[in-house]
Amino acid sequence: MGKDHGDDIDALPLFPFARTDPFHPPAQYAEARRQCPVSPVRLWNRQRAWLLTRLAQFRSVLQDRRFSGEFARPDFPAVTEARVAIDKAERAFVGMDNPRHQHFRRMFTREFSHKRMMALRPRVEAIAADLLDRMEREGPPADLVEDLAVKLPALVMCELFGSPYEDHDYIMRCAAGRHGLRQSPEEAARSASDLVAYCRALIDAKERAPADDMLSRVIAEFVLPGTLGRDELADICAMILRAGHDTTTNMIGVGTLVLFQHPEQLARLKADPSLVERAVEELLRYVTPVQFAPRRVALEDVELCGARIRKGDGVFAIAPSANRDEEAFPDPDRLDIGRDASQHVSFGYGIHQCLGQGLARIELHVVFTALFARFPGLRLACRLEDVPFKYDSQIFGAYRLPVEW
Amino acid sequence: MPGYRVEVDATRCIGSGQCVARAADVFDQREEDGIVVLLLADPGPARRDAVEKAALLCPAQAISVAEVP
Repeated sequence: MGKDHGDDIDALPLFPFARTDPFHPPAQYAEARRQCPVSPVRLWNRQRAWLLTRLAQFRSVLQDRRFSGEFARPDFPAVTEARVAIDKAERAFVGMDNPRHQHFRRMFTREFSHKRMMALRPRVEAIAADLLDRMEREGPPADLVEDLAVKLPALVMCELFGSPYEDHDYIMRCAAGRHGLRQSPEEAARSASDLVAYCRALIDAKERAPADDMLSRVIAEFVLPGTLGRDELADICAMILRAGHDTTTNMIGVGTLVLFQHPEQLARLKADPSLVERAVEELLRYVTPVQFAPRRVALEDVELCGARIRKGDGVFAIAPSANRDEEAFPDPDRLDIGRDASQHVSFGYGIHQCLGQGLARIELHVVFTALFARFPGLRLACRLEDVPFKYDSQIFGAYRLPVEW
Repeated sequence: MPGYRVEVDATRCIGSGQCVARAADVFDQREEDGIVVLLLADPGPARRDAVEKAALLCPAQAISVAEVP
């Protein structure tokens, strides 16, 4: 790996690497961080791409305008052919450079401001309490994923955004379809376009019958005066719904399991619930659900950390690796809920950093406080080997997590 | 005694709200679009750690801390 500039495409390792450990990213990243922090790989279509495995380059490239984040570019890198199909259908600002990115994003930022999120907290607590009541009534064992991790973000999105709760199974299926690693381009494109079509119909419904929710407010302020097109809004809605469902869910499931695997850390959290904010940042760092993002394409030749990145090469900023960077996080493979892990990049970095990070944090603070207060004896109800993990997804998580108390 | 001054660049801000979460007495967000508002340009030594952390965590590098001799 040392001085490899990636000239011989076929000699480069094929990316993505298979993940085999639920608690640690592929070992190739640790080796790259030691030997060659900006490492060349080959993608499914023989495109050359570079992995950013350390925090310093993760941060610098995502602020560097010599790299583009336009999903629509023909040379934009993707982990699978299916993902290309989705990227070409994706027209929301997550896949745009400035100034278009900022133009659209600013129509939504106030909805996720710190004050708005703090004001939402009592509702998130009430929703969590209801779900925990139901788990308690029905008695152990429960599936923490189905009974809490999926339902809580879905119910919160329902209230905040304004999507009907009965539609959330459908939204989840579309989101999972988008993130799968083993699907055909046709399936992927269909799940992406289905969700946009659903959103387009939801916009019409909200226009006829506005309510006190984000979608109605955005329609009144930007769509009716003609600043934002209905099709543009449908693309953005699809992005928000997907992101609101498939990420916090995985953090709740795997985060809880990680605490089970570290009983001394879980005991600390139970003994001192004021640790929850630090614990959530550390769990975000340690778990890092998003596996292969953010991505960029080089607009010109760039020399970086000894690597010669050429115009048209792809770049993957590898959050699971940057979050285990020994220089930023001493003893990075050790979970320590008391450490200050707030520099982690689980929400990305730069102008595209997660719009909903404040919402995700509130949901996680509430869950990791209420869950162990309600069930102090909560534990895994199966062998670790029997937990089904999402090794087949671009968003890592657990499909089910049987628990008892 | 040397101090420091805080500056924000609203044109770079993406409204992540991380600065408000760190130091709500120093930073706020505009009601209309969530963009940063500086409440205190000279927050004093007691707030320095929180302000430096806010600057470090700002994903758009919209916050700077300048030494004042």
